[in-house]
Amino acid sequence: MARPAVRIQVVQFGVLVGLALLVGRAAQVQILHGRRWAEEAQAQRTERIVLQARRGALYDRHGTPLAVTQETYHVGIAPNELRDPVADGALISRRLGLAERTWQQALRRRYAYFAGPYSALEVQPLRSVRGVHLESVLNRFYPDPAVARATIGRLGDEGLGASGIERTLDSLLAGRSGAAVVLKDRAGREYESPARVIAPPVAGLDVVLTLDAELQEIAQRALDDALRRMDADGGDVVMLDPGTGEVLALASRQRDGSARPSAFTDTFEPGSLAKIFAAAALLSLRRVSPTDHVSGEGGKWRVLGRTITDEDPQPSLTLADAIRVSSNIAIAKFAARLTPAEQYATLRDFGFGAFTGIEFPAEATGRLRPPSEWTRPSAASLAMGYELSVTPIQVAMAYGALANDGLLLQPTLIREIRSAGGGVRYRHRPEPVRRVVSREVAVALRNLLRGVVERGTGTEAALTNFPVAAKTGTARRVVNGRYAAGEYTASFAALFPADQPQLVLVVKIDNPHKGSYFAAQTAAPVTRSMLEQALAARTVALDRARLSTAAPRAAAAPADDEGGLVPYVVPWPYQPDSAGVGPRRAVPDVAGLGMREAVRTLHRRGFRVALRGWGVTEHTWPAGGDSAAAGSMVTLFADPHAADRVRSRGAAPPRRGPRR
Amino acid sequence: MAKGRHWVALWLVAFLVTTWLVYARQTAAIRAARELADLRARRANLDGHRADLERRIRAAESRAVLVPRAQARLGLHLPSDSEIVLVPAPSGSR
Repeated sequence: MARPAVRIQVVQFGVLVGLALLVGRAAQVQILHGRRWAEEAQAQRTERIVLQARRGALYDRHGTPLAVTQETYHVGIAPNELRDPVADGALISRRLGLAERTWQQALRRRYAYFAGPYSALEVQPLRSVRGVHLESVLNRFYPDPAVARATIGRLGDEGLGASGIERTLDSLLAGRSGAAVVLKDRAGREYESPARVIAPPVAGLDVVLTLDAELQEIAQRALDDALRRMDADGGDVVMLDPGTGEVLALASRQRDGSARPSAFTDTFEPGSLAKIFAAAALLSLRRVSPTDHVSGEGGKWRVLGRTITDEDPQPSLTLADAIRVSSNIAIAKFAARLTPAEQYATLRDFGFGAFTGIEFPAEATGRLRPPSEWTRPSAASLAMGYELSVTPIQVAMAYGALANDGLLLQPTLIREIRSAGGGVRYRHRPEPVRRVVSREVAVALRNLLRGVVERGTGTEAALTNFPVAAKTGTARRVVNGRYAAGEYTASFAALFPADQPQLVLVVKIDNPHKGSYFAAQTAAPVTRSMLEQALAARTVALDRARLSTAAPRAAAAPADDEGGLVPYVVPWPYQPDSAGVGPRRAVPDVAGLGMREAVRTLHRRGFRVALRGWGVTEHTWPAGGDSAAAGSMVTLFADPHAADRVRSRGAAPPRRGPRR
Repeated sequence: MAKGRHWVALWLVAFLVTTWLVYARQTAAIRAARELADLRARRANLDGHRADLERRIRAAESRAVLVPRAQARLGLHLPSDSEIVLVPAPSGSR
């Protein structure tokens, strides 16, 4: 047995060696492998995540959301973490809509994942269930998926715009993703920390479209009803504001129920719709006078080896008669006074054979052959609307030029682009393409079109109180490069009202099977129905102050108050609201005011007002304090309970006078 | 010797205080982060609820729903244009 001193020395040595090993190991961990262990610890406690940017919303012209981004969830289930697999399972499968078999399969896995996406409402009861892991993801949501579906488009699997406006404006709407480090607790739950944001996400821009949700619904319903009633193959409706080129409604429908954007992409021969453009050339070049007559040839005329017929034979016709009764013979005879180059140039000037330039990812140019490719009957054919293919949007813009005193505008679907904070980054201004005809000629052409509705082929579209100018078009359909027997396209283009038109409507019905195939009996009544509904609607983008003077009966009605008109500014010549050419001024803050008082206040400041809801004014669009052009539209949102909310925000209670 | 013990005690107290401060701060941060996460969840839930209500309101006030009901229950009809008279509004107070 060793002596105590030796034993102590051995123990001391052992302790020393132990300490040395400890220090050595500590040095190895801290110094040699320090970075690796630090990273591992960091990885266990933190995670770098991508912060998705909110995709910009799409609104209609009155602020109704058409496409918004919302938080949704993927759901992960760890069966071994569930406290009560039976009760929890029943809740989970009920909330996620899982079949019993699916849930049983999920229970057999280590980790089951359900991509959904599920809404916050659906997953709310699951938040407190142990073993349920929610992964939030921003998702596109269309409040009314049926509204303007083809125009708005959809996102692809990658979350990028795949079609329609979503695709065209993807770079503006998408925003820019950010990055952050989140903390994780022992259970793996993640906690965001404001201090650990590496790069904040930049939200996409909000886009206010020119579409009017109510007009859009009117157009879609009218088109659906018409296609069902006529058993037609498809159809399109286009409505636009001729003063700005803003498209107010676009409806397309095919027989199978699909809604591809055929108003932009599908061409058709316009038939008699194109007669007005031959008349435009004749009047512009002074090749015809109002008293010039041509023979109706008894309704059948053989020329250049081809027989031209009229449905409504007349002994002799002026140009006005030719348009009114849609005489093929008369317009072909009048068009013979034009050279091919003149006829071609006029059609080209009206925008046919070229892209309109609208912000849509797909558009057809149609077909307008140059005179060098014409055959001998081409001039007569083009005057009657054959040997020419167009899209409904081209027709709408060309008729819009007639409504706009001869000025062709570029069509647009975008009214405003706003930042996430509400600031306006872009506001549409009318973009003239060219002057097609003089103002005098445009007025004369509108009078010709007015005759069509009053005494011609378009009487089915006539309204009792409001004058309408329009033209019918019934053309044989081309199928696989040949005219198909018994198949027709019925179309109708209308200007409403006939004087200072506010609305251009184009209706096209493809191959109606039931009843008449003539546009006068198919497309014209659809147009009248849509106009009546638009007149009766509350928020449609029609200027009722100007309409009231356009309606003779209404104008003649005695007013209760002889104080004059509401002093809201109507620039002369008319500048539509979105033109924004008036001086900019602050929108008064009318939150908390009664609707009547709020409307008066806005009118006094020179704004037009669209009402949404009723009761006490909650807010406006643009918001109080923002600036907007005099004469532009301010949408007023009202709610019966708005007064309480306004009070809770610290504002004054409902009051009589506006805040300035 | 006694002076050395005081220093040790002082350092020990300082260490304990610092450790407690770090612990308390971390605990408060975790609690705040949990509350933040809960609030976000509640906000997401309310947003979802609002969106659902808005969708239902939109659907309920659409023409597809309103027009047939107004016709069937109230005997109303869509007015023809002859039944619509636009009266120029009085200005009254300028």
